[in-house]
Amino acid sequence: MIWTIWKKEVQSYFSSPLAYVLIALFSLITGVMFFNLLVTYTDGIQAIPQNMAQEISFVEEVVLRLFANINFLFLIFIPLITMRLFSEEKRLETLDIYWMAPVKEWQVVLSKGLAAFCLILSMLFMTIVFPLIIWGIGVKDLSLLGAAYLSVLLNGVCYISLGLFCSSISGNQIIAAILSILGIMFLWMITWGGHLNSNYMISEIFTYIGITSHFERILRGLIGTQDMIYYVSFVLFFSFLTVKSLGRRNW
Amino acid sequence: MVNMDKILVVDEITKEYPGRIAVDKISFEVRKGSIHGFLGPNGAGKSTTMKIIAGLLPASSGTVTLMGESVGPEKLHLKNLVGLLPENAPLYMDMSVENYLKFVGKLHNVKELTDQVDKVMTELSLLEVRKRLIGNLSKGFKQRVGLAQAIVYDAPFLILDEPTNGLDPQTVVELRDFIKRLSQEKTILFSSHILPEVEQLCDQITIIHQGKIKASGSLHEIHQKFRQGLVLKIGIGEKEVLPDLSGMGKYSITNELMIGRERQYHLVFEDDFDCRPEIGKFIISQGLHLLTMQIESPELEDIFLQVTETLK
Repeated sequence: MIWTIWKKEVQSYFSSPLAYVLIALFSLITGVMFFNLLVTYTDGIQAIPQNMAQEISFVEEVVLRLFANINFLFLIFIPLITMRLFSEEKRLETLDIYWMAPVKEWQVVLSKGLAAFCLILSMLFMTIVFPLIIWGIGVKDLSLLGAAYLSVLLNGVCYISLGLFCSSISGNQIIAAILSILGIMFLWMITWGGHLNSNYMISEIFTYIGITSHFERILRGLIGTQDMIYYVSFVLFFSFLTVKSLGRRNW
Repeated sequence: MVNMDKILVVDEITKEYPGRIAVDKISFEVRKGSIHGFLGPNGAGKSTTMKIIAGLLPASSGTVTLMGESVGPEKLHLKNLVGLLPENAPLYMDMSVENYLKFVGKLHNVKELTDQVDKVMTELSLLEVRKRLIGNLSKGFKQRVGLAQAIVYDAPFLILDEPTNGLDPQTVVELRDFIKRLSQEKTILFSSHILPEVEQLCDQITIIHQGKIKASGSLHEIHQKFRQGLVLKIGIGEKEVLPDLSGMGKYSITNELMIGRERQYHLVFEDDFDCRPEIGKFIISQGLHLLTMQIESPELEDIFLQVTETLK
């Protein structure tokens, strides 16, 4: 059942220009960003004395920044991908096709989430040329690159689950996208709120609830159990809310 | 003991929305193998009731029993027993007709899917458009695809919500014929605004108005229940006036019109005693030209209007 719905969703993405436009746009923007980071880094080390050049880390200045920027791009790209998943079907009343069949809500949510994830993978696949260039430059650290990709993928999954929920509560795609963007921004801002708060406990709680601290740790290869628990519980929580939201309208 | 003659039993169903009651304690039954007409003006609660029966909406109270089992969200096995064509057919515009029907079939775990989809497309004359995107089809073809998705998994009970609404006359006739053929092996709950269509297709009808059932039963029972007295059409000469017939019984004239050189009256007598011989003799004795005299059977439309109180 999940395979059937997933296949239909993926075909639906790639039968419309939206997927190709998003992939092309994403490739273009990340390409320009990567180029700029490389140029800035090269200009930087050429502008300072040679003995100080080693102080500027290529990993910090190029690799980590690149993936942090990809995470930033997801703020716009993922809501654009998830906005139509339920809201469009609600508007056209096509969700009834699922509810008339022996299909459970969680199967629909999972299938649509996996389809959106595949589109994110396709977008990230286009960036595979960057690690090859980085490898060619001499940074031959697979675990570093693996962790960087893992960090954006995990964030991507979280944003998809949030986007699915926003799409399930609105019959309007634009509103669903705006809600998703605000939700993702809120996740970032909680972490900043944590940094600004002087109370240790509140600061720690805010930092844990916010996604940024987990992202930064994984980006640097510091994959801890607490981070994985955070990501799993985040996705489960919003998937649960989505299932409930669909079920509330259904039964 | 479950009565298998009744495929559907709707018992005291109520659907409340904040500030209004869409459906108010309605009860009716659908007999196995029948085409059951579901009539009502716009906003009467037809679509809501149909969605509740199909398991798409929860009722606020009451039960729906389908083939002896009460319908509920956990009863996934009942899903393959009901086919629904809602008022707006649920179609994916970016899919081809064939892929869409295969998709719906897969959701319902249809065995020998390709054969079944081919069969349904043949029956509904969809083969010529099988590869075309649904979004590019005409309204008539879209409605056929909507009907095809309701029958592709061979459900024994079909709910068709105004399936011929807004279609061209030829498609309407074809779809009606198809629905009639379908009824040989399936039970159909069929809503329509077109009363002659219901009269032509349905064995049984239920009339709903303002969320309440006003009448339910076979067409004959409905006619009997809302039987008026004798309805007579009398035609006399164009310049003549119908004399007083109160000697034949209490009556009222419901319509008067000119057809060619004939002045035609529609009379409704309170009694249903056939007094045509006396009336004929009387009119001729008055020196008038009796051109027409015919008993009219009350139309479903008259009953519908009477029941829904739109004709006072």
